Amino acid sequence: MQPTASATTGPFFPPRYVDEGCNDLTRFEGRAARGEPIEIHGRVLQEDGKPLHNLIVEIWQADAAGIFRHPADPRTAQADPGFLGWGRTATDRDGGYRFRTVLPGGYAQPDGTRRARHVNLQLMFSGLMRVLCTTLYFEGQPDNEADPVLAAVPAARRALLVAKRDAPASYRLDIRLRGEGETPFFDL
Amino acid sequence: MAARTEHLPHPAYVADPLDERAQPLRVVPGYPETARRNPAQPLVRRAPTLSELTGPLEPAGRLGLLGADVAGHGERRAIGQLMHLRLRVLDQDGSPVRGALVEIWQANAAGRYIHPNDDDHAPVDPNFYGAARVLTGADGMLELRTVKPGAYPVPNSGGWWRPPHIHFSLFGKIWLSRLVTQMYFPGEPLNGQDRIFNAPPSMEARERLVARLLPPSEGPADALVFEHQIVLRGRKATPEQP
Repeated sequence: MQPTASATTGPFFPPRYVDEGCNDLTRFEGRAARGEPIEIHGRVLQEDGKPLHNLIVEIWQADAAGIFRHPADPRTAQADPGFLGWGRTATDRDGGYRFRTVLPGGYAQPDGTRRARHVNLQLMFSGLMRVLCTTLYFEGQPDNEADPVLAAVPAARRALLVAKRDAPASYRLDIRLRGEGETPFFDL
Repeated sequence: MAARTEHLPHPAYVADPLDERAQPLRVVPGYPETARRNPAQPLVRRAPTLSELTGPLEPAGRLGLLGADVAGHGERRAIGQLMHLRLRVLDQDGSPVRGALVEIWQANAAGRYIHPNDDDHAPVDPNFYGAARVLTGADGMLELRTVKPGAYPVPNSGGWWRPPHIHFSLFGKIWLSRLVTQMYFPGEPLNGQDRIFNAPPSMEARERLVARLLPPSEGPADALVFEHQIVLRGRKATPEQP
């Protein structure tokens, strides 16, 4: 069967759907997540550089050991019980988004390649008829260079997906939806 | 070989490339925000990996549920045409998606949302908030009791009116099944003129966004009954032969 056609959230996504604390991934079901707590933050801008307010950002990532809480991950039985790996936030008036999470682990793929530490992002907003998908990497990780997903991005644009360490345990990635310095998005 | 197979991930779901004709254009004529907010560079084409073929199965562990009876009762009943919606959520195999988190929001009967961004073109109904967040049952079904939303004009758009519609945000089995969509009502003259309804090139894909009105005998005497089906991306991987 064909998947149902997607559409924009429109401008009226209910504010109460961005629950207090759902941008904090460091606890789940009463347990603390294992690993190194970090912050990921940045701003989301449109073509003319205007910051976008109330844009929904959702993230999905592996735990500190590089395991997804999902049955398709062969190591899921060892997944951190204190870590769901998913969070949501809405951008503030300056286009700012912020998550508290743990540094995800990298992992080996069956074809022998290795995924570097990364976080998947999905953006939803008025004017976005499809969910926009991209992937955040971390500055200074030696595995980045060999990551097959980052390698699929034209070399000149790869740095646009690598979050800069702007304080101890804090990484910043600005997202430009269109125009100069446009963030690479994936067709998956 | 057997030892190696043990290390293979066994994705419960795979995602085939989307049929572009059955999905909306990213930049929609007459909808100016789409031209400022969608990438100008070609999207980077690549195959999904384990990272996108997994996804949050328990988002309700982070998000509180809200009941699916949003029409209210007695003196707190919302104004408007009472309706029941039977929504069925399926995967691409046609199997029901059980326990899927579904977020629902809509305008009131006068076409007004409870949202700080909505202007005051139409009245707020004190008995209608217009949002629900529920899980599908074992059969992939959920039932929403609400009032039929009104149409409303899009500000500064040269006479574009949104037809009555209900918004849905859904979580499926994998990251790539995440879907935001809108449902429309049969027989509405505004459907055919709507820039968002018309965004998928395929007519069949548009028609699948329209709910079906059921005979009155299918539901309570005081409500119109509609049914609708949403198909999430992803199908079960063919099991490997031993």
